[in-house]
Amino acid sequence: MNSKRIYAAWFGIHFLLITAVCFAGLFSLIAEGATILPSALSPYARKAELIAAWLLGKQADASSLVRRGIATYLHAAGIQAGYTFFAPNIPGSHKLTFELWYEDGRVEYESPHVRGKAAALRLDSLLDRLAESRYEPLREVVAKMLALSVWREHPDVKRIRAVFGSVNTPSITEFEHGKGESFQPIFSYDFSLREEGRQPTTP
Amino acid sequence: MPPLQRWGKQLMVFLFPEETDTWITVLRIGLGVQVVVYTLFLRRDWHYLFSSTGNGLVSRQLGEAITAFDSPLIPKLGWLVALGRSVNISEETALSIAWAGLLCMGFFLLLGLFCRSAGVIAWFLHLCAAESGGLLAYGADNFMTIGLFYLMLSPLPDRYSLDRRLVKTKPKNPQFLGFWRRVLQLHLCLVYFFGGLGKCLGSGWWDGTNLWRSLTRPPFNLMSPDVLIRFKYLLPGLGISICLIELGYIVFIWMKKTRFVWLVCILAMHVAIGLTMGMYLFALIMIVLNLAAFGPDFGSVSLAYRQRFHPVFTKQLSP
Repeated sequence: MNSKRIYAAWFGIHFLLITAVCFAGLFSLIAEGATILPSALSPYARKAELIAAWLLGKQADASSLVRRGIATYLHAAGIQAGYTFFAPNIPGSHKLTFELWYEDGRVEYESPHVRGKAAALRLDSLLDRLAESRYEPLREVVAKMLALSVWREHPDVKRIRAVFGSVNTPSITEFEHGKGESFQPIFSYDFSLREEGRQPTTP
Repeated sequence: MPPLQRWGKQLMVFLFPEETDTWITVLRIGLGVQVVVYTLFLRRDWHYLFSSTGNGLVSRQLGEAITAFDSPLIPKLGWLVALGRSVNISEETALSIAWAGLLCMGFFLLLGLFCRSAGVIAWFLHLCAAESGGLLAYGADNFMTIGLFYLMLSPLPDRYSLDRRLVKTKPKNPQFLGFWRRVLQLHLCLVYFFGGLGKCLGSGWWDGTNLWRSLTRPPFNLMSPDVLIRFKYLLPGLGISICLIELGYIVFIWMKKTRFVWLVCILAMHVAIGLTMGMYLFALIMIVLNLAAFGPDFGSVSLAYRQRFHPVFTKQLSP
C-alpha cells in the first residue's frame, strides 16, 4: 500500500506540473490577444499565466535549486512545453535568403539547407522561432551561424547579406484570383569575411 | 466512511486498475520503430545538426546554452563529447557513437532485448539530442521524450519481449501495469484537451482558413492548392471536426460506446497529418502513444474473463 501511495503522490505532482505548463501556454495566448476572446481578458490572463509560472518555479531566481530542479524534471519528462500546436491559428512561415556577393560583383542567392527531409523540418522550425519576439536577441547570432554554414560551401564569397522574412500564403479567395505566395522582409544583416562591415539593417 | 476517505479510495481504484502488459508491448515496439526511424531519418544530417560552432548548421553549443539557461543539469550531447575528449575520442566520433547507440537501442526495444537498459539509454540519448538541438527541436521530440520516459519507468520486460523468453521472470503486478497505462492515458487526454481548446479559441478553425493555411504553408505544402481548392467547401467542416475530436477526446475516449470511434478518428487525423503535411515522425509517435494508451487490449479482456469466471468454475468443479 505504501508504494501505491508513493506512486499516487508522484502522479499528483507530475500532473500538476503538466497542467501548469498547459495553462501557462494557454493563458499566454489569451494575454497576447491571439485568441477570439475579448481583449478585456488579457490582464487577467497575464495574471493567471504568472500564477502558472510561479507553480513551475519560474518566478524564482535563475540560480534557485527549486527552479532548476523543476526545469530539469520538466525537460527530462518531455513536459516543458504546452500542446497548443497550430493553435489558436496557424503561425506564418519564414524564410532566410542569403545574397552572396563575390569580388567580381556577381551576386548569387542561396538558402541554408540540410540533406534530409526530417532535418529540413527542423530547420523550418528554427526559422519560425527566429520570428518570435522572445528570440530577438538570438536572431543575429543564428543568422551569422547559418551564413557561416553557407560560406563554407562558397569560400570565395566576400560579403553575405542575410534577408529574413515571412512567406505570406494566399487565402482561398486570393488563390482563386490568381494570387501566389509573397515574401515580406522582416530584417537583414550584412556579414563580411573579416566582420569589418557588419551592419545590421532593417527594411 | 467519510467522503474524503471514500474519494481517496476511489482515486486509488481509478489509478491502479488491473491490466496485462500488452499495452507495454505496443509502446515498446512502437517506440523502437520510432527511435529507429528517427535515427535513420537524421543519419545524413546528424553531424551537421549537432557539430560545434563553425562545423555545422547552427552551433550545438548555442542550443545547449539555451537549455542551460533553464537548468545546467539537463542532459546534452556536450556531456558525451566532453566524456569522449577525456579518453581521446574526437567530437565527430563521439557524435557517431551517440547516433549508433540510439539506433542500437531502437532495435533492442523492437526486439525486447535488455528492455529496461535499452529504454533508459534510448531516453537519455534522445533527450541529449533534443536538448542540444535547442531551436531545431519540435513537437515530435517532446512526445518521443514523453513516450520513452514512461516506457523506462513502466514494469518491464513484457511477456512478448526476448528478455522474458531468455530469462524467466515473474509476471509484473497487474495494478502497477494499470497505473502506468493510466498515466499515459491521462497525459494524452490533457494533450488533446489543451490542443483542442487552443484551436477552438482561434477564429480560423471555424471557417476552414486554418486548415487551408496549414496545408498550403511551406514546408507542409505537399498537396497542390489546385487539388485542395476542389474540396474548399469541406474545409470548415473538417476544421470544426478536428476541434471537436481533440476537445472531446478527454470525455469520449473513456466511454465504452464511443472509445473505438474516437480512437479511429484520432488515428485517422494523425495519419492524415503525416501523409498530407509530411510530418511522419510526429504522426508515428502520436499513433504509437494512442494505440498503447487506448488501443484494444485482448490480454485485458482475457484477464477480466479469468477473474470473473475462474472462481466460479473452480467453485463448481471443486468437490
